[in-house]
Amino acid sequence: MLRIRCPYCQEARSEEEFSHAGEAHIPRPANPDASSDAQWGEYLHLRRNPRGPHREMWVHTAGCRRYFNVLRDTVNYEILATYAMGERPADEPEEGAL
Amino acid sequence: MSDGVGVACRESRVGAFLNLRGDAADPGFRNVAASVTGVELPVEPCTWRRHAGHAAAYWLGPDEWLLAMQNGVGVDLESRLRDVLDPRCSVVDVSGAHVQVELSGEDAGKVLQKSSPYDFDPRNFGVGRCVQTVFAKATALVAAREADAFDIVFRRSYADYLLRWLEDAAAEYNASDGRSP
Amino acid sequence: MSGQVRRLASGGRINRDRGLRFTFDGRVLEGYAGDTLASALLANGVDVVGRSFKYARPRGIVGHGAEEPNAIVQLGSAAASVPNLRATQVELYDGLEARSTGAPVFQRAVGRLGRFLPAGFYYKTFMGSAPLWMASEPLLRHAAGFGRAPTGADPDTYDRMNRHCDVLVVGAGPAGLSAALEAARSGARVLLADEQAEFGGSLLAETRPLGVDGATNWVDKTIGELASRANVELLPRSTVSGFYDHNFLTIVERRTDHLGLVSPNATRERLHRVRADQVVLATGAIERPLVFANNDLPGVMLATSVGTYVNRYAVVPGETLLLFTTNDQAYRTALDWRRAGREVCAIVDVREAPGGELVAAAREAGIEVIAGHVVIEAIGRGRVARAVIAPLNASGDALDGPTRRLSCNLIACSGGWNPTLHLGSQTGVRPRWSEDAAAFLPGDLGVRALCTGAVTGTGSLRACLEEGALAGATAASRTGFGSGRTTFAAPVIDEPRGTPARPLYLVPHARPVSRAPKQFVDYQLDVTAADIELAAREGYKSVEHVKRYTALGFGTDQGKLGNVNGVAILARALGKTIAETGTTMFRPSYTPATFGTIAGRDVGEFFDPERHTPMHTWHESKGAAWENVGRWKRPWYYPRAGETMQQAVNRECLAARDGVAILDASTLGKIDIQGADAAEFLDRIYTIGFRRLGVGRCRYGLMLREDGTIFDDGVTARLAENRYLMHTTTGNAEAVFAWLELWHQTEWPDLDVHFTSVTDHWATAALVGPRSREVLAKVGADIDLSRDAFRFMDVREGEVAGFPARVFRISFSGELSFEVNVPAQHGRGLWDALIDAGSEFGITPYGTETMHVLRAEKGFIIVGQDTDGSMTPADMGMDWAVRRNKPFGFIGDRSLVLSDHQRADRPQLVGLASADGDTVLPEGGQLVDDPKPPPPVPMAGHVTSSYYSARLSRPIALGMVKGGSKRIGETVYCPLADGRILAGTIVDPVFYDPEGERQNV
Ligand SMILES: [Zn+2]
Repeated sequence: MLRIRCPYCQEARSEEEFSHAGEAHIPRPANPDASSDAQWGEYLHLRRNPRGPHREMWVHTAGCRRYFNVLRDTVNYEILATYAMGERPADEPEEGAL
Repeated sequence: MSDGVGVACRESRVGAFLNLRGDAADPGFRNVAASVTGVELPVEPCTWRRHAGHAAAYWLGPDEWLLAMQNGVGVDLESRLRDVLDPRCSVVDVSGAHVQVELSGEDAGKVLQKSSPYDFDPRNFGVGRCVQTVFAKATALVAAREADAFDIVFRRSYADYLLRWLEDAAAEYNASDGRSP
Repeated sequence: MSGQVRRLASGGRINRDRGLRFTFDGRVLEGYAGDTLASALLANGVDVVGRSFKYARPRGIVGHGAEEPNAIVQLGSAAASVPNLRATQVELYDGLEARSTGAPVFQRAVGRLGRFLPAGFYYKTFMGSAPLWMASEPLLRHAAGFGRAPTGADPDTYDRMNRHCDVLVVGAGPAGLSAALEAARSGARVLLADEQAEFGGSLLAETRPLGVDGATNWVDKTIGELASRANVELLPRSTVSGFYDHNFLTIVERRTDHLGLVSPNATRERLHRVRADQVVLATGAIERPLVFANNDLPGVMLATSVGTYVNRYAVVPGETLLLFTTNDQAYRTALDWRRAGREVCAIVDVREAPGGELVAAAREAGIEVIAGHVVIEAIGRGRVARAVIAPLNASGDALDGPTRRLSCNLIACSGGWNPTLHLGSQTGVRPRWSEDAAAFLPGDLGVRALCTGAVTGTGSLRACLEEGALAGATAASRTGFGSGRTTFAAPVIDEPRGTPARPLYLVPHARPVSRAPKQFVDYQLDVTAADIELAAREGYKSVEHVKRYTALGFGTDQGKLGNVNGVAILARALGKTIAETGTTMFRPSYTPATFGTIAGRDVGEFFDPERHTPMHTWHESKGAAWENVGRWKRPWYYPRAGETMQQAVNRECLAARDGVAILDASTLGKIDIQGADAAEFLDRIYTIGFRRLGVGRCRYGLMLREDGTIFDDGVTARLAENRYLMHTTTGNAEAVFAWLELWHQTEWPDLDVHFTSVTDHWATAALVGPRSREVLAKVGADIDLSRDAFRFMDVREGEVAGFPARVFRISFSGELSFEVNVPAQHGRGLWDALIDAGSEFGITPYGTETMHVLRAEKGFIIVGQDTDGSMTPADMGMDWAVRRNKPFGFIGDRSLVLSDHQRADRPQLVGLASADGDTVLPEGGQLVDDPKPPPPVPMAGHVTSSYYSARLSRPIALGMVKGGSKRIGETVYCPLADGRILAGTIVDPVFYDPEGERQNV
């Protein structure tokens, strides 16, 4: 049972209040019609699924209903950072770790 | 007002609920809203403000508030607010959507502990705080009104379920003096 | 109470003024308040408390706490029966009825079976041979397990409570008490939980003074201070059962079991769901038994347990004690035994030259110490009568001289200590082997949990107290309370100097392991040393595999006694060290939990919340049959006296087609959308355009996922220039609301638009049928209802029956229809007024079944019933609702042109007419092209919706058929499980009023 800090409510809340919303930082192609079937398929379906730190989106379903980003280690479930939409975490881990 | 021993639960009469959206950083927006409703919009997350016996404003999100007005009709308040607010704000009458109850008594906190994973201890949840959270198998907005007295707002369709839930959760604290919640 | 033949005349923490009567396997026995069932059974001289799982051997009580593997009992009978309790943890109460777990009839079955069950039987049967498992399964099912399920609904109440604290201290033994005390003094919020009724742990059986106090006085004083502090909560009778991610722990509190079996007015068990900033694990250690031949005979016990029964319960579980030990500490048991006035036959010490102060004390007391020896075998019928001892060689793997026999009826064993590291292990942190402690110790639990006391291998009582205090101060300071330094003044305790222990995991026998009498490692599942060696010979190397192969540690005790000996025996068989072999991990729960505790109050009416519309009580009063739609209760149909469901639905359908009918449509999802960019946003979300929709007009839209499949549908109305009201399907309301927020918040935050859920705000009555306009006129509406002023797909605001209302002229039935919305607080008033006004027109309430028939007659789909998450608009024949080439496009549009979505043989929506004109095709029925095809049978499609149409006097159905839109007129077949094959003709999905004239009357 995770404890997640909502960057909008500015406090840690219990996992029951949240829903997972998939991998973060996957922008929608600006012009979908310009992408090939293969490119579009990657956008639709391909996800990183890393072992270790993973950037993902959660939504504070039972709370403020805001989506935000979570940097979560998929090995030990430690949450390394949570940050608002459009932000990057203050202590950016090394690129190689991601 | 705390009733001392046990737990009491009674429905509060609220004239109108309104959902308000706008830019918290815009003092103009906040002033206009306050002038119509008589209550300041809280900008501190998870807090609420009230204007004694008249209105309350609950923080729901960084740009969202729930206004609970003792008097007035929802649709009228909605149009009065819309008339004065910037068109980029949103105001919606949700009077029918909510039911509010007041839970009080020295064991009221224990009933909340049975119902929600949130930490309602006074150290964490003093008077003036409010929180939207999981409540039994539904959700609710809980506000600390006084020590041992809480306002709980939940969706109307869940009212039957949640009122029975509260009665059941409070039963053990009321068993000794025979009062029913 | 003369029956208590093994009760000492004085002493113990029992209340001799409160005698309690109880039964065990039908025998009436007596004990005292303060007893456990186990201590009372021992006091009464009950040696055999059960038969073993596989070999049906008689078994007695071994331990005194959670580790007990044998004394598994069932309390009570019928619905109130509780299986799978350890007698060592059951507090005695007056009238307690207990049964040993194995009933005689299946003990014999197990006994017979057991002789044919080699180690690995389960494993091999599961993995290898289905037929063998099928044949054995009924017998094994009958025989297996530790008790019987209750025969009725549980009469007790269970609940949950959430808790938050700065420091959770697990275990109220010496280390836990001092940890809690230090943390509490810092001001931190402290929660202290212990599985026993009394706090104190081993101190409750401690005979040494702590400073000037007796040990129990010290406990009382400490508890007194803790209880007086507002920042401390104490949870006795509370087992910390699970330790999960992010310091979430579960605690099972037994609130009424000590009072009797059924407590209708109180919560029997409460599950505390704890969020702790810091966790201090002071879970202590459990004594390690010694593995020798016939070590399962009743009368073989743990040395600490013997001492605990003597000191805490004033019970001597035998007459003549033989102590078999690898260490000094166990000598206390022999000294306690002697102090109780009982005979000690000898102390058999594995060590060549034991020489600590306790050893000296034993010798001074005249007890014979036989050094360098081991007990290789116990002998007796139903109870120990003799012990066979022999000298041990230097390497500990063979005997070094002749055997001899000693008479005794109690063998107290101490093979050292196994720290109770289960909770730490549950977090995924692997325990590590310490050669110094000769034990697995908890791994590094990080910065939010720490272990203290005996669980870390600490043996000395004073050290446990001091370490506990430091742990409490450290944990508190990590949460911002106190300096981390301790102010604790540890009491002076007599700590005798000792000599090192000599670990021994398997006692050699005169015969090899495979031929010696059984040397039990895991009592509960009858796993022997020979079984483990067999596993090694068969090639199993991983301790996890050996666990599954032999069932070592698989019992309800999770191997609390047997695990380490088993690992050591495996290590030796593999020629590896214990550290290399490693240990298995432990899972929640630490001791078995009841289903009731896990369910809490989420049973009966609270199992799943029901959502009610404002008109709910009206439907109830009319005897509506209910359909669950999501969490909503919706009227399914309204049967009149003597009507079948079909008759009721026929009547409701005809009323809607010919007169006027009314549906409670309040459950539809409704979202208020405002903002300058609301139209732009809707254009991006829906397949159809909303920019040019006039104010006061409605439009039907399809919402797609990004992969082009249909997600939701519904009618959206433009209420004002920058304001819309979206309707969603009932079941999808919350998902659609989250979907809108997702796109707005994550992709298009620059768009000026806000969403507010108004599902609960509006109550909706759908007035349907050719006479609906008359009813609305009669009830009073300040809206021009004429056909030309209020057109199909218009929305108007005004007053209806005196309530502020929004009226939509939209139709899900194909008939003239007005959907009247009022704020929910007026919903019942509106409904009553409409029913009143409609009575002269024969207004008929109808439910979801009729709603489905009416829409199916019109070929209207239901998302989630006719679609399954893989259908595109084209599949459903709904390209008319898609506008490609919008400026921005819409979610899912790019996917519509993917090649797979262009295939001609995709399943497509069709109507199906049953060929015999009479039989309703079953929903979900599979469709094939050839009525009697050879397998494998290619599927042509399936039936998605199917009803009898009263209007058309024949069955109608919708289905998905591959390439179906080009197959109108062809026949497909629907084979049924009963062998019948129904034929259906593919037809257009619109069965009724294809021109759509009726909704415009
Ligand atoms: Zn939040």
